[in-house]
Amino acid sequence: MADGLQQVKNWILDRHPERNDIAPDLDLIENRLIDSLSFVEFVFLLEQQSGTSIQMETLEVDEIRTLAAIETHFFAGTRAEVGQA
Amino acid sequence: MPARPVAPPAGGLGWANLGMDIVSVNRVRRLLAEYGEPFFERMLTPGELADCRTSTGLDVLSLCGRIAAKEAAFKTLRVRGRFLPWPDIVVRRSEGGWPLVELHRSAAVMAAESGITEITVSISHDVDYAVAVAAPIIAPTSVPSSETQ
Repeated sequence: MADGLQQVKNWILDRHPERNDIAPDLDLIENRLIDSLSFVEFVFLLEQQSGTSIQMETLEVDEIRTLAAIETHFFAGTRAEVGQA
Repeated sequence: MPARPVAPPAGGLGWANLGMDIVSVNRVRRLLAEYGEPFFERMLTPGELADCRTSTGLDVLSLCGRIAAKEAAFKTLRVRGRFLPWPDIVVRRSEGGWPLVELHRSAAVMAAESGITEITVSISHDVDYAVAVAAPIIAPTSVPSSETQ
């Protein structure tokens, strides 16, 4: 897995110790792994790891709904293999 | 898996989709310690931050109350697939001390689409948590012409 995406996954797992892993297609919003307050922190992290500036106002939920979506939208050039820690 | 029920839209006599939220003081204190004030500049406007400021710096309880109020207000809009537009829901302290909600840009659009003209909110906090409850003010529906004569 690309280092940036792995950092994102680790960040979520650190905040949810009840989970051992996160499947690439797991809905992070529906499963409450990201809420509105952690979303702001999450955007900070995504900006750091992807090296891109993110406009929260225009960010669509579906862009960060799953690790696979995050890979597509923010780490497309890094050949990430989501799902393997 | 059975389909989830769909909530009716806001609007109409007697309708009020309430919103409520609770914010952990410890959680916000950690964010403030880890990222500093710039982190909250993404969530609160300069005016809101000024409302939270005391002579010793940002008051964390006030900060938590604002955050809870914004979230509660957003919940009354009942929108799907959107994140809370933090800077577009502004919670200011009125002269009387109670909070007032202003809806701007995307929040104003979402409210209009839900038939909401304003949102009223109440905030409370104690040592570890801040809570807020919000209620929408629904735009009056037009009265059929036959009832006005």
